[in-house]
Amino acid sequence: MENETERQVMHFLVGIATIALMFYLGRHFMVAAIFFIILAGMLVINLRLNGMKLGIVEWFVKRFERKDVLFPGFGAATFATGTLIPMVFLADTSQVAACIFILAVGDGVSTLVGRAGRIKLPYNKEKTIEGTAAFLVASAPAYYFVGPAIIPVAIISALVESIDFGVDDNLMVPIVCTLFFLIA
Amino acid sequence: MSIVEICQSIHLDILTAVAWMLNDTIIYGFIILALVLTGEKRKEKRNIILFSLVIAALAGIAIKEVLFVERPCAGEEWCPGGHSFPSMHALTAFVLMAASIRKRTFPLYLLFALFICFTRLYLGVHVFQDIAAALPIAVVSYYVTNNVMKNGKRN
Repeated sequence: MENETERQVMHFLVGIATIALMFYLGRHFMVAAIFFIILAGMLVINLRLNGMKLGIVEWFVKRFERKDVLFPGFGAATFATGTLIPMVFLADTSQVAACIFILAVGDGVSTLVGRAGRIKLPYNKEKTIEGTAAFLVASAPAYYFVGPAIIPVAIISALVESIDFGVDDNLMVPIVCTLFFLIA
Repeated sequence: MSIVEICQSIHLDILTAVAWMLNDTIIYGFIILALVLTGEKRKEKRNIILFSLVIAALAGIAIKEVLFVERPCAGEEWCPGGHSFPSMHALTAFVLMAASIRKRTFPLYLLFALFICFTRLYLGVHVFQDIAAALPIAVVSYYVTNNVMKNGKRN
C-alpha cells in the first residue's frame, strides 16, 4: 500500500488547514496565496525534472508522492489547483469550504477505505463500493457549511469520483462540486 | 495594499505602451503563436499545445458568457469590451507555461505569464480574481488535452 495512509492524512490536514485559513484570513487572501504557491510549486517541479535536487522537497516527494504519477509533485499540484477552483468561482465561503472538505476528507477517506474494500464497482474495477460509501459518509460533516445541500453535492461528487474519466480526482471532484453550487 | 494597488502604483510610459500593445488581441495572438512555433519543435507536442489553447479559450469564453462579470474599468471610454472573468490573456499565457513544465525554458514562460498578468492589472482591465481563475482553467485544459490526445494515439 506504499505510504498511502500518510499521504491521505497529509491530504486532509492540508485541506482542513486551507479551510481554517480561508475563514481566518479571507477568501481573497487565500486565492492569492494558493495562486503563488501553485506557480512556485510548478517552478520546483520544473527544477526537479531538470535534475536539480532540492533538500526538503526530495524528502516530501519520497514520503508522500505516488510512484505511478506523471511527474513528482503531481498530487500536490493537482490538489492545490483543485482547491483554487472553488475559491475563484464561488463567492460564498461556506460553499468553498464544503468543496475543499469533500476534496480533502471525502476523497482521502474514500481512497483509504476503497483500497481495503472487496466489492468492485461494476463500471470501474479499480474502485470499490466501500470506497464510494466512505466518500459519502466522510463528506457528511460538510453539512456544517452548507446544510442539506451537502446530500446532492456529496452524491454527485462520489459518483464522479467513482468513474474513471481519465482526469485526476483532485481536479474532477472540485470541478463537479463548484459546478453544482454555480448551477444550484 | 492589494496586489492590484501595487501593480497600479508603478507609472512608466514605456510599460503603459507595452501593456496597451499586448492588450491588442491580434498582436497578442501573434505573440502566442510565435512562442508556440519557436518554442516547440516537436509536431505532436505543438499540436497538443495548440489544441489546449483552443480548449482553454473555449472554456474561458463560455465562462465569460455564463458568469457575465463586468470589468473593473467598465464605464471608462478606454475600457476594452467583453467581460472580465476570467482573463483570456492570462489564460493563454498559463497554457504555454503549463505546456513547458518539463523544459529548461520553463522559468521564461513563467516570467512571461507573470508579466502578462501584471499588465492586465496595471491597465486596470482585470481584478486579481480574473487572473487567478485563469490558472486552474489553463492547467486543467492542458492536462485534459494532453491526456486525451496521448491516449487517443495509443489506442
